[in-house]
Amino acid sequence: MLIEIKELKKVYSQRTVVNIPHLEIDNGETIGLVGNNGAGKTTMFRMLLDLIRADHGAIFSKGINVAESDQWKSYTGSYLDEGYLVEYLTPEEYFEFIGSLNNLSRQNVKERLQPFVEIFNGEVLNKGKYIRDLSKGNKNKVGIAGAMLINPELLVLDEPFANLDPTTQIRLKNLVRDHKGRETTTLISSHDLNHVTEVCDRIILLEKGEIIKDFKTNEDTLKELEFYFSA
Amino acid sequence: MTHQWYSFWRGRNKAAGLVARIVMMIFVIYFLLVALGIGFFMKQFIQQFFPGQNVITIFNGAILYYFMVMFLARIQLQELPTISVQPYLTLNISRKTIVNFLNGKSLFTFFNLLPLFLFLPFIFSTISGTSGTLTAIAYAVTIISLMLFNHFLALYLKRKSANSIFFILIGVVIVLALAALDYFKIISISEVSDALFSSLATYPYLALVFTALMVVVYVANSRYLRSNLYVEELSKKESAKVATDYPFFNRFGKVGELAALELKLILRNKRSRTSIIMSFVFVLYGFLFYKPTLIENNSFAQMMFAAIFMTGIFQIAYGQFMFAWQSSHFDGLMANKIDSTSFIKAKFLLFTIAATLVTMLTLFYGFMSWKLVLMHVAVYLYNIGFGSVIVLYFANYNKKRLDLTKGGSFNWQGVGATQWILGLPLIALPFLIYAPFGANDKPFWGLIAVALFGLITLAMRDIWVRLLTKLFIKQRYKIAEGFRE
Repeated sequence: MLIEIKELKKVYSQRTVVNIPHLEIDNGETIGLVGNNGAGKTTMFRMLLDLIRADHGAIFSKGINVAESDQWKSYTGSYLDEGYLVEYLTPEEYFEFIGSLNNLSRQNVKERLQPFVEIFNGEVLNKGKYIRDLSKGNKNKVGIAGAMLINPELLVLDEPFANLDPTTQIRLKNLVRDHKGRETTTLISSHDLNHVTEVCDRIILLEKGEIIKDFKTNEDTLKELEFYFSA
Repeated sequence: MTHQWYSFWRGRNKAAGLVARIVMMIFVIYFLLVALGIGFFMKQFIQQFFPGQNVITIFNGAILYYFMVMFLARIQLQELPTISVQPYLTLNISRKTIVNFLNGKSLFTFFNLLPLFLFLPFIFSTISGTSGTLTAIAYAVTIISLMLFNHFLALYLKRKSANSIFFILIGVVIVLALAALDYFKIISISEVSDALFSSLATYPYLALVFTALMVVVYVANSRYLRSNLYVEELSKKESAKVATDYPFFNRFGKVGELAALELKLILRNKRSRTSIIMSFVFVLYGFLFYKPTLIENNSFAQMMFAAIFMTGIFQIAYGQFMFAWQSSHFDGLMANKIDSTSFIKAKFLLFTIAATLVTMLTLFYGFMSWKLVLMHVAVYLYNIGFGSVIVLYFANYNKKRLDLTKGGSFNWQGVGATQWILGLPLIALPFLIYAPFGANDKPFWGLIAVALFGLITLAMRDIWVRLLTKLFIKQRYKIAEGFRE
């Protein structure tokens, strides 16, 4: 078991945004988090990454409370939004910076970026641009690559398919699937039910901060989800 | 174009914008009143500074200098009114209207009010008295024409070439060189200026030549705008960015990595760059404070303020917005493998390096007196020892987001109460340490005490790092939340 959530609660001005009594995530699972806007997906991710403080309860990563120790940082890669990108660096510098934080040599970083060359589509590396001058989609790609750069045991991506063109969406899906084989636990939130059901083997459906459904994916999953959301 | 008005009143941070604007207004009014005062009493001033010379000759000589210096200031400080037109480009508004609007709107700046207040009173009191109303009117027309000429030329150049500091430096050098040539009586700009303006007295219609010049620049500016009215081209041209590396920082490991990251932040963003350039200007602050009599009497108390300010300027100017500089990517820093101790240590490293550089720069005051060197070293030790701790302590209570890409001069975003409180203990403490010694007529012991205090606190740095890290860990959620807004 990699992640354990206990009695987790977050309240903003008397509105409960996240309320998860118990949730366990095992090693190697690929989990899709779905739900409408305001369901609490991003808030939950932020608590998992210790960016906001839980009002009640805690999240344990490998048995250690994430709010009390920095240990999870060495095996967790994440990308939530543009608040991750150091915008005045070139993409190369950004990757090297992340690499250096994790004791990767420059050569190492280059090698690990290889799988992304296809996704970058020649628009990101060696373009002589700062990240702030890239388009939204390309920024998104930089962020995701940065998160996966350290070959994390736990990968957390918020809306990774947003702002990407169809080709890249498919390539990214393949990349995430390849990642699966390597004992990685992946958490993805998305509005796109197709992508999530394709990539993930377990779906968690959130509504108003609470887990409504939690099940393994099969052929009927997509229909089930579509039915739920159209109701 | 009432939309401009809406955009101000309906803007999201109206209250903050309003307060900032009122404060700005007060400053502007203050400056204008001072200018007006100078304008009215210019005759007396000139007589006092240059006794026995013809008032009008001096005045004439100064005009060209004024406009040269103002021109440089405009290039650096004046904003291009561009971005706001974007939504209107596709609407049924003729290009001409938009261009005229842009040009018209740009006119409302402080730079265009200043000369009116500064020169017109003098022209209408002194010059019309000595050479008649017509000449005075000619003068006024010339001044206004020159002002507008400057205005549109500055805009034109700014649009054509990306605004570069290099350009301004060259300009400053040229003006200084001209002034030097003037001083050594080789080529005299002030004589040229004087000849020009005194011929105005004889042929008042010459004023129209300047007006014509102004019109030429205006037309050039409008033409250029009209044929280049695309949002992409209105904003500045971008040069290719290269990845850089600072090997110096590598020896500090992860801490150095973070410090290098922050150095890039400073160099690559407009706002931080402006605040650093400003701080170099403050290195000249000492000339205002260091008077021979003060040095003679060892009255360090009166001079210490300048010393603290100069050697610590980086800490004050940059440190007051500490952490907020990184507000746009704070989440990323927190979720990555950076431990809070390295984060704090990197700040200390950056402060130490900056203070050392600036202090070395200020050592040229040693030519005035060796005592100043002593004082600067003492205060420098204080600044890196304890000043940096104060700055970083207050940084933990600063939760205002900062937009790096906006210009720095007269930018009030992210300014809050902490910035004002910050300065107090930072500057007051060395005085308190020095005061008992100074009062008992042992000024050098006072300096030694300040230096010792600095050294002791410097030796305690590990303790400070630990305390600040603890505080930072406690505060980080609040900081991150504030930065996300």
